[in-house]
Amino acid sequence: MPGNPSGTLPPRTATRRAAGPAPGRRGASGSAPRRRGNGLFVLASLLPALVLFAVFMVVPTLNVFRMSFYTWSGFSPDMRFVGLDNFTALLDDAQFVRAFQNTVALLVVVTVVTMGTGLFLAAVMTRQRLRGRSLYRFVLYVPSVLSVVVIAAIFSAVFDQENGLINGTLQALSLDGLRQVWLGDQDLVLWSVAIAMVWQSLGYYMVLYMAGMASIPEDVYEASALDGASPVRQFFAITLPLIWQNLRTTLTFFVMSAVNLSFVLVRAMTGGGPDGSSEVLLSYMYKQAYTNSSYGYGMAIGVVIFAFSFLVSLLVSRATRREPLQF
Amino acid sequence: MKQSTRSALLVTARTLVAAGCVAVVVAARSTVGWSNLAIMLVALAGLLAVLASYNRRFR
Repeated sequence: MPGNPSGTLPPRTATRRAAGPAPGRRGASGSAPRRRGNGLFVLASLLPALVLFAVFMVVPTLNVFRMSFYTWSGFSPDMRFVGLDNFTALLDDAQFVRAFQNTVALLVVVTVVTMGTGLFLAAVMTRQRLRGRSLYRFVLYVPSVLSVVVIAAIFSAVFDQENGLINGTLQALSLDGLRQVWLGDQDLVLWSVAIAMVWQSLGYYMVLYMAGMASIPEDVYEASALDGASPVRQFFAITLPLIWQNLRTTLTFFVMSAVNLSFVLVRAMTGGGPDGSSEVLLSYMYKQAYTNSSYGYGMAIGVVIFAFSFLVSLLVSRATRREPLQF
Repeated sequence: MKQSTRSALLVTARTLVAAGCVAVVVAARSTVGWSNLAIMLVALAGLLAVLASYNRRFR
């Protein structure tokens, strides 16, 4: 043994060898069967979840990718492989481009407005001693527990051309010139849907941010106030960094949920009209796959949606990554 | 330049760029076409770049 010319082991090592493996360490001969047993148990425990995940997530997702290379009506047994033809057809489809533009517009505007307003309201409700704070919180949270179809019905009534809340109020205020056909005007219809989306999501995210802000110790704010920090400074220097992980997660989720929510609201409020001007990617995919009997083409749109949502979520996650702060 | 002035200018610039990107998304939507869609996606990338630039000093 190098460094030990006598060939004898130091006393501590010799004792350890004589007594067998040290506690907490596994010898080469004794640990192998134990580890294999643990592995089998872990595998058996995970198997039901893995099977469910494979059957309900992996296989359908792979099937969407596979079907995008076929032309199929959705009902007949005739299914023909067409390669990338469905994707090249998308390039010449103006309605697809419009749906894509509407999806991007809703994603950007609704995310910015919902996140910005949610953060602002949460900060005001947490830091300011407002009277009736619980009532405001309740009122703002109620839309989150309503079904999206109910919200669509509410906003269809609010935006009604003749007796709707908005046009009725404008008429009562003698502002007839400002009355609009909110769900019938091609320039306005998407923003009417966006208002409904913001109304539906705002309370949920506000409550999430309030929960994050409530966990920040009060003495951090007191110390900063003694140093002369204004409420705005406190928000950007204390509140925002300390709820950043919360904000990051909600932002990533919201990107995906906005795409899904836009489909349900568009479907229930406008059906994609007038003349396809409020169509979004998911509603257009649904229309092609299940109404137009172009299942393969619909799945090609699904692949584009998947790639777009995945990419945006990944970029948001990367752009907002930072070390979590401990407090 | 004072540190406070510099950070105020940076915040203003970021806010203006972010507002500009949102305005571009809204404006580009009015015309249907691949070029307008590309403009919208660039504006979306611009928003993400502003977010990443704000977040960079906290990494």
